[in-house]
Amino acid sequence: MLSIETLKLTYGPIVAVRDVSLRVEAGEIVAIVGSNGAGKSTLLKGIAGLMLPSAGRIAFEAKDISRLPAHLRVAGGIALSPEGRRVFADQSVRDNLVLGAYARRLDPDALEAEIEAQFVLFPRLRQRRDQLAMTLSGGEQQMLAIARALMASPRLLLLDEPSLGLAPMVVREIVDIVRRLRERGITILLVEQMANLALAIADRGYVLETGRVSLSGTGRELLRDPQVRAAYLG
Amino acid sequence: MASAYLQIILSGLSVGGVYALVAFSFSITFTTTKTLNFSQGEVVGFGAFVGVAVLSLLGISALAAPGITEGLGYLAALVGAGAVMGAVGVLLFLLAVRPFTGKPGMNWVMSTIGFGIILQSLGLAIWGPAPVMVASPFGSDVIRIGDAGIRPQEILIFVCVIGLVVVLDLVYRRTTFGKVMRAVAFDPDAASLMGIDIRKVMVLTFAFSCALAGVSGVLLAPIASASLFMGMGVALKSFSGAMIGGLNNPRGCIYGGFMLGLLETSVAFWQAQWREIVVFLLIILVLAFRPNGLFGGTVAEKV
Repeated sequence: MLSIETLKLTYGPIVAVRDVSLRVEAGEIVAIVGSNGAGKSTLLKGIAGLMLPSAGRIAFEAKDISRLPAHLRVAGGIALSPEGRRVFADQSVRDNLVLGAYARRLDPDALEAEIEAQFVLFPRLRQRRDQLAMTLSGGEQQMLAIARALMASPRLLLLDEPSLGLAPMVVREIVDIVRRLRERGITILLVEQMANLALAIADRGYVLETGRVSLSGTGRELLRDPQVRAAYLG
Repeated sequence: MASAYLQIILSGLSVGGVYALVAFSFSITFTTTKTLNFSQGEVVGFGAFVGVAVLSLLGISALAAPGITEGLGYLAALVGAGAVMGAVGVLLFLLAVRPFTGKPGMNWVMSTIGFGIILQSLGLAIWGPAPVMVASPFGSDVIRIGDAGIRPQEILIFVCVIGLVVVLDLVYRRTTFGKVMRAVAFDPDAASLMGIDIRKVMVLTFAFSCALAGVSGVLLAPIASASLFMGMGVALKSFSGAMIGGLNNPRGCIYGGFMLGLLETSVAFWQAQWREIVVFLLIILVLAFRPNGLFGGTVAEKV
């Protein structure tokens, strides 16, 4: 479904991702783990189109999307729930969701049905429906960020650090939702610092180190790998 | 004394209305592109002359007596100036702002000033440097309220501004376009992740902003007379109004514009030569204690 070949992403003179190749097959959960600053978030930004590659190629469903701007990738079926949530703090929960479906140009009935579907998945957001996003707790904001990405009805969902700064109970809730999304047929590429958590739910994983893929394998293999255990699982 | 206060309020609300409109126009382009349009004053002046040109195209003398034809002509001048300056706004964005948005540095300061100078010189080449008197469609007979007096044009400005402000506020808060504009203002990257073409939103915002500035020029022409140099002072005061109200808050900018108009007329009524001094001292004071303006606030960002 997603195929990345020798991708290079740079911030001016700084190379954040170099020579990364990876694949995500339809229906998979794929995890990317690695320490802070390894280039995980940059990689997701590159897939979402917030950064254009300096070299390499990104193909989605057999189409080359390397030069496609972000807003057209959303319409094409890729949605990102970004690091740090980035919800529109000065707008209501409902309006955040409305904006999430912007690329789809839904008629009002279809839009309401789509919002309702998110409220079924995230009941807590229903209670907060008319509150400004800035008044939500961290966990609720994370749920809103995921729900907002789902409003675009993506075939590939990119999740960047969904557990960041959340209480263990909320993290479990989010893990549960990720599993349910996969059951619905959404392919998921997950970036996480909590490697044990990500690899436990992932079919396959990649370990990123200073912008390069250092290891890859099934979730289980990586969980058992002594190098991974020493570096990321304490 | 009561009539003096009434006079101050009436005149202040009318001039403040123009400041409010231009302050709002500063705010929407600032929030969406994080640039300041230093050519906005020239856009106001150029817009006034586009209005005059529309009147003369319709065969209406700029000094005609009030009447229905003249009223409709003035309306056409407002719409015409809005449309032409809207198109100028698109040009302004493409030439002077787009190359520099989202990049470090402040090259847009020079490029927007430059665009303003080009616009002004173009106006001077077409219409010459002389100010043009424009008659108000409602005549110039002062309406007496007690001992206070108000010109019909001042009422017209106030009514137009209130009408526009209410519509703008509704657009900004209730419509999808408004929500999209606010999303781009708040976080352009996150907005593009929603499938929003942020460049398109920025162009539209500039068109919208310059259209408002052009309309302000036509509104102001009957009391200040149309001049290619009229915009400088208006833009500076409006910008101050925007700073007082909070540049990142369009509603605050509208309040700020009205406050500045009232303040300015109050001081002028007391001692005309102190007007600018007191006004700008107060602005400095406000900014010293409230760097984000009175209504700017700071959006709490949870991390």
